[in-house]
Amino acid sequence: MSEGSVEIKELVKTYTDDRGRPTFTAVKNISLPIQDGEFMVLVGPSGCGKSTTLRMVAGLEKITSGTISIGGRVVNDLEPKDRGIAMVFQNYALYPHMSIFNNMAFGLQLAKKRKDFISDTVGRTSKALGLDHMLERKPNALSGGQRQRVALGRAIVRSPKVFLFDEPLSNLDAKMRVQMRSEISRLHAQLGSTMIYVTHDQVEAMTMGDRICVMRDGLIMQVADPLTLYRQPENLFVAGFIGSPPMNLLKGKVQRREGGLFFVETAEKNGLVFPLRGYLESLAGNYVDKDVVFGIRPEHLSDNIKEGAAAPITSTVEIAEPMGSESLVYLKAGAGNLIARIHGEHLYHLGEQVTVQLNMDKVNLFDAATENVIR
Amino acid sequence: MTATQRLRARKAAAHTFLICFLVLILVPFVMVISASLRQGNFAPSRLIPDKISLDHWKFVLGIPYQEVVNPATGQTRTVKADTPPLRWFWNSIKISLLASAGIIFLSGTSAYAFARLRFAFRHATLSALLILQMFPMVLSLVAFYVILDFTGQYAKWLGLNTQTGLVMIYLGGISNYIWMIKGYFETIPPSMEESARIDGASQFQTFVRILLPISLPIFAVVFILSFISYMSEYPVASVVLQSSENWTLAVGANSFLYEQEKLWGRFAALAVLSGVPITVVFLLCQKFVIGGLTSGGVKE
Repeated sequence: MSEGSVEIKELVKTYTDDRGRPTFTAVKNISLPIQDGEFMVLVGPSGCGKSTTLRMVAGLEKITSGTISIGGRVVNDLEPKDRGIAMVFQNYALYPHMSIFNNMAFGLQLAKKRKDFISDTVGRTSKALGLDHMLERKPNALSGGQRQRVALGRAIVRSPKVFLFDEPLSNLDAKMRVQMRSEISRLHAQLGSTMIYVTHDQVEAMTMGDRICVMRDGLIMQVADPLTLYRQPENLFVAGFIGSPPMNLLKGKVQRREGGLFFVETAEKNGLVFPLRGYLESLAGNYVDKDVVFGIRPEHLSDNIKEGAAAPITSTVEIAEPMGSESLVYLKAGAGNLIARIHGEHLYHLGEQVTVQLNMDKVNLFDAATENVIR
Repeated sequence: MTATQRLRARKAAAHTFLICFLVLILVPFVMVISASLRQGNFAPSRLIPDKISLDHWKFVLGIPYQEVVNPATGQTRTVKADTPPLRWFWNSIKISLLASAGIIFLSGTSAYAFARLRFAFRHATLSALLILQMFPMVLSLVAFYVILDFTGQYAKWLGLNTQTGLVMIYLGGISNYIWMIKGYFETIPPSMEESARIDGASQFQTFVRILLPISLPIFAVVFILSFISYMSEYPVASVVLQSSENWTLAVGANSFLYEQEKLWGRFAALAVLSGVPITVVFLLCQKFVIGGLTSGGVKE
């Protein structure tokens, strides 16, 4: 097994109080193999267990049960420094009383490396990160972006097999965040090390990850590459979490009417009705008269569909957000609202009546009871 | 009244109040200085003595001086303290320094445990400490006496009438310092220590190389506070230390106040003297009591 691979097996973390009584289970039996050199993103809302998982990989949090192996070696009982990892924290966690040089050299000094080796390594790394002219400064003389770069440098000089990132960009302003994002991606390409990256920001997850692991309430909801996650969410949570604006989700039932199966929205009046044809018909076959959720991404609502089966609906514009090349249009239709991402520079007006077409080839149907996708 | 007048009136009132307040604080201090420079031991009548005499200071500093015994014949005698008060001064400094250093060590390490480690009865112990420190040390005087009497039978240097015994008792008064330092530690984000741990630092190295340097301000404050309190502590010292060569300044000064004769002059001179080391320690520690030591390490 290659040395940067990380294998998480049946991992459980239960927090305890001072006397060791269990209080709260943050991670509930998850298994996740991560390949050598992979950029794996753990994403989910706060409290989903993603940071706890990362901290267990780092060795900062005791494992309740299950195993974590790095490079084929079980590391459950190893100290963080012996695991071949380095970590970048959300709040940088620099040593405020040390110069930038000493901040980066601290680990090497503790490991009793030779002086010239240390100054060489730190010098090279700081140069690559554009920090070489501020090595004598203290952290408080640096900007947020520079501080996070120091934290990055401190991780790099340890030459770890696995990099761990705990929401490293959330404290930076929007512009810096975009810049650091590409910097970390470039670093990953250069070093080829395994990286595990925790974030709550799905844009970060989508843009950086080779694969993304979506978590909720201590459980893994889905692990897939970004596009699969986007196109084929396995459950309602992933469908709603990934993508901005989120997927339109309509509650309703499958009904057999004249001419085949239909999705009928649950509503007091004017519920939307879509015919289920082709692959949808075969999917919905087992769900006649059962509760389902009908999901469609905003970009699959359009004012003209060139290919695929289309279902037209009439709707009223509630809010229109022109973004230039496209518009986000919030439509009132049926029992609720739909968001459409419509290309073109047409300006929509409040209260305007619009007929949009749903691309029925891009629809996901979910079982309302289990919240899982129907396939 | 115009707005400016009102403002002026308010300023005047504020200044009057502050000046009165200052006088309230400064007058006793000036009285003590004046008593130490006045001839004789009468209760101070005027703030500025009519005639300056350095006799009390000479006595306190161990310099022999002539005292008129019989004004009629002009007969004098040489006065010199049996135990030089400077010895008490030195004792006080030694005991206060040792006790304060010990307190820094003990309360610093325990505060670290309370702030960062998780163990059974952590909360209960902390509350117990808080409640226990509400009882004044004087309440346990009898116990201290018995304990030192007992330990003295096995280790002479730790018995009654030893300075080490007194320091040992002083070291027991750390609970409020533990609370103070713990409060400071808890403002330091744990990620700083975690990152040191990943860098390969042991728990002890993390404590010494990361936490201690950042916590200098609180340690300076604790050092000053405990130094001041032990420089002036009387009840415990007076019970533990029995022979005059072991006395601290407070006990020694009190020895001038006999039932029959109260030697206020010497007392006052000694009291002023005791302020010197406190001032020095304060000035030395002050430069560590600076804010913003943690700034820059983490983003709040």
